[in-house]
Amino acid sequence: MTGPDKMAGSALAADRPASKLTSPLVRWWVLYRKEMLESLRSFKLLWMPLVFILIGAMQPVMLHMLPDLLASAGSLPESVLHEIPRPQAFEVLAQTLGQYDTMGALITALAFMAVVSGERASGTAALMLTKPISAAAFITSKWAGLLTITMLSFSAGYAAAWYYTYVLFGAVGAGKFLGSLLLYGLWLVFIGTCTLLFGSLLKSGAAAAFAALGTAAVLSIVSSLYTEQLAWSPGRLPSYASALLTGGDPGSAAAGAAAFTVVCLIAACAGAVAALRTKPSVD
Amino acid sequence: MELMRVENVTKTFGTTQAVKDISFSIGEGRCVALLGPNGAGKTTTIRMLTGLLKPTSGQIRFAGANEADAFRASIGYLPQTPPLYGWMNGLEFLVHCGRASGMTAKAATTAAKELLVRVGLEQAGKRRVGGYSGGMKQRLGLAQALIHKPRLIVLDEPVSALDPVGRREVLELLRELKRETTVLFSTHVLPDAEELCDDVIIVAAGKVAVQGALPDIRREHQQPVLELQTDGSALAMSWVDRWLAAQAGKSYVVEGTRTADGFRLVVSDVPAAQRDLLQALAEADIAVRRMEFGHTSLEDLFMKAVASQ
Repeated sequence: MTGPDKMAGSALAADRPASKLTSPLVRWWVLYRKEMLESLRSFKLLWMPLVFILIGAMQPVMLHMLPDLLASAGSLPESVLHEIPRPQAFEVLAQTLGQYDTMGALITALAFMAVVSGERASGTAALMLTKPISAAAFITSKWAGLLTITMLSFSAGYAAAWYYTYVLFGAVGAGKFLGSLLLYGLWLVFIGTCTLLFGSLLKSGAAAAFAALGTAAVLSIVSSLYTEQLAWSPGRLPSYASALLTGGDPGSAAAGAAAFTVVCLIAACAGAVAALRTKPSVD
Repeated sequence: MELMRVENVTKTFGTTQAVKDISFSIGEGRCVALLGPNGAGKTTTIRMLTGLLKPTSGQIRFAGANEADAFRASIGYLPQTPPLYGWMNGLEFLVHCGRASGMTAKAATTAAKELLVRVGLEQAGKRRVGGYSGGMKQRLGLAQALIHKPRLIVLDEPVSALDPVGRREVLELLRELKRETTVLFSTHVLPDAEELCDDVIIVAAGKVAVQGALPDIRREHQQPVLELQTDGSALAMSWVDRWLAAQAGKSYVVEGTRTADGFRLVVSDVPAAQRDLLQALAEADIAVRRMEFGHTSLEDLFMKAVASQ
């Protein structure tokens, strides 16, 4: 490879036509694959579904065993124990979603807090942007990874909950299950996307996770106070998901909230791209 | 042939001007050193050259690549601390960088294997990058900048953070590289620049102080230097002081500085200085340890350029 004279070597390099570049889509796929490989190597692709499955399976089992648990504790008179109503199957599933409100949000924010901020801090983000990789490709490949992992983990956990509910309490219709899965999954993806956005804006990953969780908490509290005015807020998605299970028809409000959340996701990604473009590294 | 031209580029961060109206060009096949003290604006300049930062004003042109992707595929960049994915192994990292630079999987794999051998990491290619030593990381970083056969390689302080062994290894690699492609590297280590480069750009306080081909710069700025070292006795030193005080009458002295046990003169006329000084020394009967005629080095020029800013 070592050319004896300078001009021969440089001429070789100069002759390489620029059209030999692979297409932007192929380069995007390379980045997406790297995200997935990293999640696999860091065991994120293993522990995140496991924790979600644990949370999902625990709720129906706990509810099923509740009378026995209380009886063995012996603190309640037997007459009261018999009066504890056995929950309906759809109620069990709705309560499981309630479990994801805190734990699911926390896990999602923690799992993706370093995805952008880590690469900005280590300088790999800046390095990749000097290659024919656009900031948009960099962010969207990470977002696609986030979408894959979050939906995979939540679907696994929620399916576990669905299965144990079916075994222990009875069936919940597949339509209700899928509808609530999509609505609630969208909420978790929204939290993850907020983490991505704050990771591109703030210096530390912990700050990004904190800011995303704060945003999620404020959104759900404010939206639960002004249900009418903020019917399309992403913060309403969890309520619509449980409403769908318990037989209420959230209908057009849920569709509106889902559509508006998608708009928010696109805006958050665009914001992250702009932030990364102006400040690709932390120093 | 000109590969890159920088025209009146300025970069402002808030109220501070990191780079002030610099212009230079990089010829194809040249090895260019961007020299300057810490904080002179070297890293900012380099980040603008690689497209990471947009100049506040001014233009950077690259021959034959107007489109952003084509331009980015034509440069290879190694930042000050090599940013690597610690969870990948060396081979995976190179293949990833090659593919991100627009190579096919097959081409990237072939090139990565060749490069690992070339930078002396063929044994370490299967090991996780996180466990590499500083020198190994730097060599992998260099390989990453080369994998897509760029027309211009931009290196930010490639040897500053390395121990003498690692530094030597990287310098040898650079010596080979400059035969194949155009190289621009920043450094504050002058001997490295003198050893490797064809062209030098000295920046200080965000401005270009001196630039040009190394031999030209030497010819233009080099001046004869006379160094005298006495035995350091009180007698000798008082003579040194008297002699320096009377230098106004000696037209051949450009600049005289007292050292611990003698003086250092930048002179315009070597024979006159020699004649006059030897005579004066003999008359005063001064014990001389060492007397040397030499030339100002790049370091002198550097110090002068930096001080004048």
